[in-house]
Amino acid sequence: MTTTQSLELLAPLSGVLLALDQVPDPVFSSRLIGDGLCIDPTSQTLCAPLAGVISNIQDSGHAVSVTDDNGVQVLMHIGLDTVNLAGKGFTRLVEEGQRVEAGQPLIEFDADYVALNARSLLTLMLVVSGEPFKLLTPEQGLVDVGQPLLRVTPQAVADEVKDEEGDALFSKPLTLPNANGLHARPAAVLAQAAKGFKASIYLHKQTESANAKSLVRIMALQTAQGDTVQVSAAGEDAEAAIQALVTLLAEGCGEVVTAHQPAASPVAPDSSATLLRGVCASPGSAFGQVVQVKEPALTIVEAGTGEALERAVLTQALSDANLALQALQEKVVGSARSEIFRAHQELLDDPALLEQTRDLLDQGKSAAFAWNRATEATATLFQGLGNALLAERAADLADVGQRVLKLILGVQDSAWDLPEQAILIAEQLTPSQTASLDTRKVLGFVTVGGGATSHVAILARALGLPAICGVPAQVLELVNGKQVLLDADKGELHLNPDLAEIEQLQVTRQQHVLRRQREVEQASLPATTRDGHHVEVTANVASLQEVEQALSLGGEGVGLLRSEFLYLDRNRAPSPEEQAGTYSAIARALGPERNLVVRTLDVGGDKPLAYVPMDSETNPFLGLRGIRLCLERPELLREQFRAILASAGFARLHIMLPMVSLLSELRLARKILEEEALALGLTELPKLGIMIEVPSAALMADLFAPEVDFFSIGTNDLTQYTLAMDRDHPRLASQADSFHPAVLRLIASTVKAAHAHGKWVGVCGALASEALAVPVLIGLGVDELSVSVPLIPTIKATVRELDLADCQSIARQVLGLEEAAQVREALRLYHAATVETSLVVEH
Amino acid sequence: MFEKFQRAFWKALTPDLVLETPQAVVAPVGETALAPAVLNALGGAENLKSQQRVALTRVRVQLQDAGRLDVQALKAAGVPGVMVLAGGVVHLLTGENTAL
Repeated sequence: MTTTQSLELLAPLSGVLLALDQVPDPVFSSRLIGDGLCIDPTSQTLCAPLAGVISNIQDSGHAVSVTDDNGVQVLMHIGLDTVNLAGKGFTRLVEEGQRVEAGQPLIEFDADYVALNARSLLTLMLVVSGEPFKLLTPEQGLVDVGQPLLRVTPQAVADEVKDEEGDALFSKPLTLPNANGLHARPAAVLAQAAKGFKASIYLHKQTESANAKSLVRIMALQTAQGDTVQVSAAGEDAEAAIQALVTLLAEGCGEVVTAHQPAASPVAPDSSATLLRGVCASPGSAFGQVVQVKEPALTIVEAGTGEALERAVLTQALSDANLALQALQEKVVGSARSEIFRAHQELLDDPALLEQTRDLLDQGKSAAFAWNRATEATATLFQGLGNALLAERAADLADVGQRVLKLILGVQDSAWDLPEQAILIAEQLTPSQTASLDTRKVLGFVTVGGGATSHVAILARALGLPAICGVPAQVLELVNGKQVLLDADKGELHLNPDLAEIEQLQVTRQQHVLRRQREVEQASLPATTRDGHHVEVTANVASLQEVEQALSLGGEGVGLLRSEFLYLDRNRAPSPEEQAGTYSAIARALGPERNLVVRTLDVGGDKPLAYVPMDSETNPFLGLRGIRLCLERPELLREQFRAILASAGFARLHIMLPMVSLLSELRLARKILEEEALALGLTELPKLGIMIEVPSAALMADLFAPEVDFFSIGTNDLTQYTLAMDRDHPRLASQADSFHPAVLRLIASTVKAAHAHGKWVGVCGALASEALAVPVLIGLGVDELSVSVPLIPTIKATVRELDLADCQSIARQVLGLEEAAQVREALRLYHAATVETSLVVEH
Repeated sequence: MFEKFQRAFWKALTPDLVLETPQAVVAPVGETALAPAVLNALGGAENLKSQQRVALTRVRVQLQDAGRLDVQALKAAGVPGVMVLAGGVVHLLTGENTAL
């Protein structure tokens, strides 16, 4: 071991210090790239914080890294999203490979230009080689360029590649307590601790293992809360290493974890030799034969054969991939899959991805290596951001990555020859794999990775096939042709199903099919309770196509037209004529006897529309959303009103304002509407109503009611604002439940206030589409349920099974309960009771 | 980062499969009311040619007469950092979304 002296890093700039956690960019604040600090600069020359060699300087001049003789590597990144400036405003003063002294100027930048043209000037200094450091100044306040800022303790030079000799010792299995598994931060803590030992150390999860000294490898294991992991170590200090790391893992690797919660974790249920468990991604069951889906391994040579040539190869492959994705989109046009391939095309020209690839090409790597490395790194990044939707997009990135890689390497895709009754088993199925699939031969899907928004889940639900995700990796070892029983409702794959089980499942399946069939057949019947109370069931739609589909499934009108979806991917606002044409076509499809409720543009910081640019907000959910934004840009609202009014007379036109929280907003919007109607010479105004999605509107419903024609309750936002829980928060989302009595009480008082003034109330949030919620909503007096299109027959059938008087009593009962889970339980019991009685009645 | 991709996915997955996901938005520009002490240190309201919030953490002001700027008084007024640039342009480093 070579001991090295500690090293002082000098401030590269003058400015105001900021903790890394406060940097408004998850890539930096999550410390994914490395730990360090942030300076909001007041000087314009970035200087070297240490002596060393320029190991990298971006062409665009916004980032530079310096490596010293002991391997300490420090990255400086000027501003956020400054890569988009493509070098403008930056002047490089040094070259790659050049040796620099501490304090030597590296990059000059024009602070005013950058401030006016990029997202931020916040400059990061990160110790990317991972050595621990101490801050030498107060955590906040001003620093001067050249002032000592950090003391880094260099590690002994580690030769990571060499594995220690000797037999490996294994720890006992332990259960991960971290809520989001070992994501970037805890993984970094673990890797840091592991590096302190000489032994070679591995972390094992099922059949996979990762070098515990590598942050990226640990993250690539994709661990989740409740996963069982083991630590192994080989070398002289192996025992000590295992002891230390096991303790660290049990304590959460620096994250706050709740001590013992053996029963609380629903993840990783027990699997046995004849039964493998996962989570349901699409309901149903199937009996069929195993078909393993595997990608051939590709050989990638790291070194390139000349930069110009490799660049050309990459460009060609990207362009070919783009064409192939275009063709795939056209093949599955109109489906969710078509949009997914479109999203894949967006990735092909994503600047961040291309920048990484080109940097590697600059270093003489081959196109295949550079592209592969960039996509893999970005996929790891997606997984580490703590955003479930983006984490599942890692699979999409891998899919695009593979597509381009095969084109670079000239590997042909061979068509699949599927046997009948196939149950497809894969680590992860990608959109590209399933695009060429003969879905008539597929009975179900089983994957090791994935979740509720993964591609396979979307596809399976669209096809109505059962699917389970999160199954142990041993499922990949099943032989092709083996007969298995997939029970997705319970999340089970039976490896040796007996006849009774198969029959039982086939009966259940048959019942499901029959029930659905009956619901669809009877979809045109009115939704009237057994005691004769009629509830209007309408559709939530975002396109003319959905309106037509809704009508064929028994929709009695449109309870919510999300107008912002009509033009979501536009860069420019659609012309007034085009908007008018769209609304008129939808109104005509409905006819003069049906309601059309058009919600005015509901966009904001959380739901941006490309042609409505707006300031970024710290808390977009509490910012300029919905009607607030429209009143801020009244021209936008006037134009939309004019376009909507053009459809007056074709259907029973209703206009609905989203996010209303103040009476003044309603009055102002009504005034604008009246002015526009007058200008168009309309004698009769369309109905005007508001969404009830902010608690203030619900609580003041008695004052709103005289001034509106109707209310429609948006339960998703009402829930998150009432409970103060972000519905996308990884740990809170499950509690942000619209069945919470607080939300139900707000619905109850809204309905009471509306009915006192003779106005009707609808529910257009997700709660209306839940069959379980239907009795309580009807019991509370809701007049209209606007539901997602495919569920119209189910909700109508549910209403027909109910009794208004029963619903009123169950509604009264649940309003007095304490929490959402109790409400759900009470409604489940009620449902079981009514279904039994309705069966008795039918027999 | 990856905004277009996220947005395209958002469209593919909504309205009925998953709930909406928050998005990042760029380019904040806007007016902020400056505290009287800050205005004084900048030479008074009449000395301001323009004023806008830029780059998340800054208020950019353009002064008629840069000579009337009093950097010490700005710091005394609670502005953590001040960057004086050519042409009468001054950046007040106020931190994220802090009113002055």
